[in-house]
Amino acid sequence: MGSLQLVGFVGPSVNWWALLPQIILLGAALAVLLVSALAPQRASTVFTTVTTLCAALTSFVVALGLWSDVKADGPSSSIASAFGVDGFSIFFTVLILIGLATTALLSHGYLDREEMDPPEFHALLLCSAAGAIVMASANDLIVMFLGLEALSIGIYVMIAMHHRRSEARESAIKYFVLGAFSSAFLLYGIALTYGATGSTNLVHIRSYLDAVVFQDQHLLMAAMALLLVGLSFKVAAAPFHFWAPDVYQGAPSPVTGWMASIAKAAGFAALLRIFFAAFASHDVDWAPIVGALAVITLVIGSVMAILQTDIKRMLAFSSVSHAGYVLVAVHSASATGTSAALFYLFTYTLMVLGSFAIVGAMGPDDEHPLSRYTGLGRSRPVIAIGFTVLLLAQAGIPTTSGFIAKFQVIAAAVESESYFIAGVSMVTAVIGAFMYLRIVMAMYVVDEGEEGPRPIWHWTTSVVVLAAVGFTIIVGLVPQFLIEFARDAVPVLVRG
Amino acid sequence: MMQLLTAQSVASFPVLNALIIVPVVGALVVVLLPNSRPELMRPVGAIFAAIAGAFSLYVMAEFSVQDPGFQLQSIQSWIPSLGINWHVGVDGISLWLVVLTGLITPIVLIAVDPHHDPKPYTAWLLLLQAGSFGAFLALDLFLFFVMFEIVLVPMYMLIGGWGYDDRRYAATKFFLYTMAGSALMLVAIISVATLSSGGQDITFNVIELAQRQALSTNTARLCFLAFVLAFVIKVPVVPVHTWLPDAHTQAPTAGSVVLAAVMLKLGTYGLLRFGLYLFPEASVWAAPTLATLGVIGVIYGAIVATMQKDLKRLVAYSSVAHMGFIVLGIFAFTTQSLEGGVLQMINHGLSTGALFLMVGMLYERRKTRAISELSGIQSAAPIFAGFFTVAMLSSIGVPGLNGFVGEFLVLIGSYETRRWWTVIAATGVILAALYLLWAYQRVFHGEPTADDEKTADLSLKEGLVLTPFLVGIVFLGVYPKPLLERIEPAVNNLISHLEDHSDYVQPDPGAPVVVERDHGSKDDH
Amino acid sequence: MEITTGWYLVLGAMLFVIGGTGLLIRRNPLVMLMCVELMLNGVNLSFVAMAQQLDDIGGQTVVFFVLVVAAAEVVVGLGLVVAILRRQPGATADDLSALKG
Repeated sequence: MGSLQLVGFVGPSVNWWALLPQIILLGAALAVLLVSALAPQRASTVFTTVTTLCAALTSFVVALGLWSDVKADGPSSSIASAFGVDGFSIFFTVLILIGLATTALLSHGYLDREEMDPPEFHALLLCSAAGAIVMASANDLIVMFLGLEALSIGIYVMIAMHHRRSEARESAIKYFVLGAFSSAFLLYGIALTYGATGSTNLVHIRSYLDAVVFQDQHLLMAAMALLLVGLSFKVAAAPFHFWAPDVYQGAPSPVTGWMASIAKAAGFAALLRIFFAAFASHDVDWAPIVGALAVITLVIGSVMAILQTDIKRMLAFSSVSHAGYVLVAVHSASATGTSAALFYLFTYTLMVLGSFAIVGAMGPDDEHPLSRYTGLGRSRPVIAIGFTVLLLAQAGIPTTSGFIAKFQVIAAAVESESYFIAGVSMVTAVIGAFMYLRIVMAMYVVDEGEEGPRPIWHWTTSVVVLAAVGFTIIVGLVPQFLIEFARDAVPVLVRG
Repeated sequence: MMQLLTAQSVASFPVLNALIIVPVVGALVVVLLPNSRPELMRPVGAIFAAIAGAFSLYVMAEFSVQDPGFQLQSIQSWIPSLGINWHVGVDGISLWLVVLTGLITPIVLIAVDPHHDPKPYTAWLLLLQAGSFGAFLALDLFLFFVMFEIVLVPMYMLIGGWGYDDRRYAATKFFLYTMAGSALMLVAIISVATLSSGGQDITFNVIELAQRQALSTNTARLCFLAFVLAFVIKVPVVPVHTWLPDAHTQAPTAGSVVLAAVMLKLGTYGLLRFGLYLFPEASVWAAPTLATLGVIGVIYGAIVATMQKDLKRLVAYSSVAHMGFIVLGIFAFTTQSLEGGVLQMINHGLSTGALFLMVGMLYERRKTRAISELSGIQSAAPIFAGFFTVAMLSSIGVPGLNGFVGEFLVLIGSYETRRWWTVIAATGVILAALYLLWAYQRVFHGEPTADDEKTADLSLKEGLVLTPFLVGIVFLGVYPKPLLERIEPAVNNLISHLEDHSDYVQPDPGAPVVVERDHGSKDDH
Repeated sequence: MEITTGWYLVLGAMLFVIGGTGLLIRRNPLVMLMCVELMLNGVNLSFVAMAQQLDDIGGQTVVFFVLVVAAAEVVVGLGLVVAILRRQPGATADDLSALKG
């Protein structure tokens, strides 16, 4: 954004190839809307789901192509360094596309059951996914902000789309108000960063901060604090988590899954890119704050989770405590920590999507009392064992991906000599385990003659649960490939 | 030394890996069996468990008696970017625990009928066997932790799914206690590996970490405490033992037997393998405290056992007392005391395992375990009473049975270094006689009621199932040499490791118990 | 007295704080929407002031992006508010308490 370029009115060069994944998704969104508007009959759920899946798949193939480019030529950036193409952006692109395909499959049965409009839902989902990818790839704070808004606005509407339930609307307005509130904080942080460093571009910010020693860094500190607050809202880190249980509970289950997984992952992508990559030279300033946030988040998330009686609220608080683990990894401000955070987000996404798949299929979204699961182990043993695996993985029991993820997080904390935080994470893991055990207990420990529920099960849900459980166990046993992927995905800022 | 050990033990067949894999395969096979054939589940499971048991006997046969180090090792790269290997090996300390695990599981599968849902029951028991093998064989800290934690899940499911009235509470308590203990151990494991790496590649190899001893004194002590916390909860040592009576009482018979015979040993085994071996200096530093806790366990377990009204709970508390003995033996650091400790782990597995099985059989007949509701069983079921007597006498430590050999070695070994502890612990032996004989008297003697009259005696199957236990009890009581001569080199090796890395010196090693003390072993280091 | 950049920044901060406070304490959904706008405009003002100070056009360009985003947000927000008010006329944030929290 140098002024020289503007004088000559030379537009920045654009690497369209790098933008193709998002373009495909947006194109699919438009296609879905157009077809549903022009078609004589209402577009069927099958059509929209298949379109979304095809878009995700095409996008995925392009992302793999980009990955081989990055492997061969190293990371690059495009549009005046505003958009990065590195392992990090591709890692998140892959993750978001997996989340997109999963959510599309989950909503397939759900939309029919709850009589919601498939084309609008899928169009919003696609836009939201594109926004998430932009957010993870952005090398410029403003582009990141735009991605965040695209992601969030889609979600606001998706939550509210459930027209028969007032909880959904209430959940939507809560998420909207707090989302807008946090966006304003984030934006103000961006403004102050701009004031302190003279640019919103992360590459510039990084080189500026590396080169300059501040006499008075109040402005920068305030900027970091505001950015952190804004992003903490997005990833539901305590003490900015209070919206999460209400919103998760009220939202339609597939959307809850999407929020808990992809919205969180995108928030962490932004957090890592800003703090780990751009503010790397000031890690002594921000790492302690992130550490404190991590401890609070872990404690609140795990303690509050065991007090809940509604499964969705339990999982909401568990997702808060998972944000705490990722923050522990971020706190270590090292490449090890960052790859641990990436690994954690990847495995967590699959676990949480699988969990909400089961929760959504168990029955209507009004409330999800624990008693709904009583005896599931007997009436539907396969579902029960799948859910058990996902829950134990979230508790961090070995031979699941959740354990490897926690192990790396602890290793990162130990490496940066944060023994206290490492200890707190493990102790809260035990507290949290109590909550997961309650659900497992409800499914398996039944009195004689008690009959379990027999939920109506759409085959797409089975596909999702099977994939999530399989992934969780495979990564738990042979995690090497994902660890390498996460190691290659540490963000790099390069001038385009 | 490391290369040497690896090189000399290139086994033609990776039998230790097979030990872990066979039960897992068995569990998968059982899961895939059709639900319409419930009667097939347990036999098929027992076959797989028995194959694993046969492999464990093969390990025993292959085991070279005089070698103090780890044998039959097998190393495969597992997660190279984290420095984690699949590394298993067996030495004199773990050998007999492996054999015990291998033999107990098939017996339990044959012996105990779950009454409902045989498929998951069998599968969980097989997974439990695999996990226990893994924990005893692991020579990689990461692998050990995985196995140490993973055994919780099958046991939790067994207690929760097939336990008695209060099983929800007991299962959750069991799981959370053990998990809480191991939480900090994970941090310590990572810290040890990271801090010992010294700029080189990180490793979780136990042998290498024990040789390096790269931690500063304080760090090593802190890490040691984190390890110890995990193990004393598992043992359990007294202030943190409260999960055990609940878990034992509420668990189904199979769960109780495996819990007592195998899983508690993970704690004492862990103290030896990862406490003493990895942190010799810290072990010596903490030994008085831990020995005290062990002795408190002996006395406390005995006193509380005396007051129990429930037969199963009584046996559970007797476990607390016995495990206290083992802890005392471990932290007395003499050849005899350590040997006695290791031997006592096996003895306790046999005697308490048999007692739990028989209490389970009694419950099947009478639907009660309350001591007050039973009396005069001896006249109705004389063979049962006879079997019970032998197991009970073994538990008391009567000469001629295995319990005596173990307790005697612990006491005589500890007397050299921990005189007063030993004196107090010796009273525990008397108390054990008190509570067990008193309970026996109330249950088996006296005036039988009408219900007691109808108590059936042992069936042929039950007798056959119990026979291995009794044979073991008598055999080890009369002729413990085969065990001791394999345990001793490993134990001596461990003690000289302690002496090398701390200011501890064993006071006059005394006459060797079985084998000539191998003075050359010290030079191996 | 000369009005320096600092004054604009202070004004921007005040707008932001007023908006934030209003969002937290006001209960009328429409007023809450307006408060969000106020916060965003406080930020916009800061951006423009800093762009002026830094002699960099970037900060002023940002404002256009923010305006567009704010418009999009308001559209969604109003839609939500209308949807709620249609079912529960005169609803305030306190009435939205079916989800305890």
